[in-house]
Amino acid sequence: MEVEKVIETRGLRKTFRDFWRRPTVEAVKGLDFSVRQGEVFGMLGPNGSGKSTTLKMLLGLLHPTKGEIRVLGAAPSDTRVKARIGYLPEVSHLHPFLTPRETLMYYASLFGMAHGEAVRRTAELLSMVDLTQAADRAVGRFSKGMARRVGLAQALVNAPELLILDEPTSGLDPIGCREVKDLVCLLAKSGVTVLMTSHLLSDVEDVCDRVAILDRGALRAEGKIADLLRKPEAVRFLIEGLSSEAVAALRSEIEERAGCRVQLDYPAMSLESFFLQVVAQDGRLRTFEMAPFLRATQGTREGEGGACSKL
Amino acid sequence: MIRPPQNRAGARRMLQQVAAIAGTTLIEAIQQPVAFLILLSAVLTTLLVPVFQFHRFSEDGRLARDSGLSCMLVFGLVLAAGTAGRSVADEIARGTAAAAIGKPVSRVTFVVAKWLGVCGVVAIFWCGVLAATLLAERCSSHFLTLKEFVGSATDPWTLALSFLGVLSALIVAASRHFFWRRRFGVAAFAGVALSQVAVAAVSGFYNRFGELYPLHGEAACECGAEHAHAATELLLYHPELNLRVLPVALLVLFALAIFAALATALATRLQTGAALAVCAGVLILGLAGDALTAGAPLFSLRGLLSGVLPDIQNFWLCDAVAREGRVAWVYVAEAGAYAATCCAICLVAGCLSFRERDLG
Repeated sequence: MEVEKVIETRGLRKTFRDFWRRPTVEAVKGLDFSVRQGEVFGMLGPNGSGKSTTLKMLLGLLHPTKGEIRVLGAAPSDTRVKARIGYLPEVSHLHPFLTPRETLMYYASLFGMAHGEAVRRTAELLSMVDLTQAADRAVGRFSKGMARRVGLAQALVNAPELLILDEPTSGLDPIGCREVKDLVCLLAKSGVTVLMTSHLLSDVEDVCDRVAILDRGALRAEGKIADLLRKPEAVRFLIEGLSSEAVAALRSEIEERAGCRVQLDYPAMSLESFFLQVVAQDGRLRTFEMAPFLRATQGTREGEGGACSKL
Repeated sequence: MIRPPQNRAGARRMLQQVAAIAGTTLIEAIQQPVAFLILLSAVLTTLLVPVFQFHRFSEDGRLARDSGLSCMLVFGLVLAAGTAGRSVADEIARGTAAAAIGKPVSRVTFVVAKWLGVCGVVAIFWCGVLAATLLAERCSSHFLTLKEFVGSATDPWTLALSFLGVLSALIVAASRHFFWRRRFGVAAFAGVALSQVAVAAVSGFYNRFGELYPLHGEAACECGAEHAHAATELLLYHPELNLRVLPVALLVLFALAIFAALATALATRLQTGAALAVCAGVLILGLAGDALTAGAPLFSLRGLLSGVLPDIQNFWLCDAVAREGRVAWVYVAEAGAYAATCCAICLVAGCLSFRERDLG
């Protein structure tokens, strides 16, 4: 069965111009890609590769120089489409004098939400991002990580069908990063389509089903992570509890029979896992729970784990 | 293309968006120290005129009235253009505009809501400076003939109350900030404006010698020229303020609304300083409109200027209330319609400019 494409771009180009309309930078050069319903799609690339520019064009914030964009079946400038999208910008653009509670109420008003519903969702989101205690302090005095949490909460206030996250873990501590990744996985499991960019390759690897790699505005690679990273000519055995004699014997046996060189390594825990294990001992690691209204408004994606099954 | 909302729910959502953006703009603008300083400067300058009054301009209270209205126009222009510039140009630069447009908010809604928010700031400023102008005129030296008094008298009680009002507003705002962590800027800005309105209201209960007015008409007629009451008439309140200033001040408010619209439109492309400079230029050319464009052929630079520039002289009728003069309310309504047209033209230009703007 053909899976519905939530985002589709064809021949997308963006050239920035100066005051006299002279071209200065060609940020995106003929980009073709699509994001399917219910998947977590990662966009990777070095600085200046055109990731954020592409996201802004998908949201109608930047006008493409050429090419076609369809988001949820319509043009990105259509406000009915925007009502179904959640967007977290690279820098959480927040009004510094508003408190997190006022910020979320403000964004809820932009979606035309009834006051009672907005109050309920605001409380649930503040609890989800662990900002209930700081709900009535001005955002302008927040650390980057706390502002990021407010930014994440505002992106979810409308229970979006499509969530666009630009560097979602930027500025967060390892606990915050882990919670964002947990959230992305929970949302993906409940049927939300997620498009995210990140410089942190491990973040993308942990949560994304498919990735696109951009460089200098052009698409260099696209596909499922497992397919892109697979080395068909190599095989890895993972065996626990072997003595050094048994390892040596096994190695020489395989080298003799297969006639090829065997490389040995001892898998270690990632630093992130070790850190989380340490802080969990102090009881600082809370169980991350999605806001109840998000659980209630989304469906469930049965039988799919995707990259999230690694977490 | 500007599409009207499809149904009642769409219209309700649009109104909610306008209220949210305008409200946030209003709070953000009056939170800025510069907005508070502009209001404080305008109010204090107006209130100080009766203290340092060395000329009557052939009419009691005229200097105070003219100075108050001038402060209203000039400080109001700086506030309107500065606020519009900051709230649009700075939001575009800071990214909060992109965050709002990333939601289901059309660019037209955004521009109109921004203008309404700026108009809200200007309206609070206008209330404060209008009340201060009325109070300053009352406090100026007036020649009086009362029962046991003939001569010139100032109104030190009202003047003291006005300054006390400003001081109280600042103390209340500081206390709210200290004890309840409420925003100082918002409370101080609204408080200073409200304090002047409150003093203007209270001043109707006593005469310029600080004596409370008697309740019945004959004695109450001491209050002055415009209060010829029947002897038995019950009078609780004596508005000893020159309310003929009200239509003139309303015309200034219309002019400020035009400058707010112009600055909002300009700020979609220009920085705050540039928008402010253009508004100042339009004020000067608009006030000199007749002299510049009288008898100019239609197809000439001067003719073009007269067609394009709003005629600010229509809104500056300070002299019309001199020597018991009045401005007809019909004229105010016509000027209001002219101002609404100018605002609409500026906002349409602003929306068209913002529509094509990349929000990076």
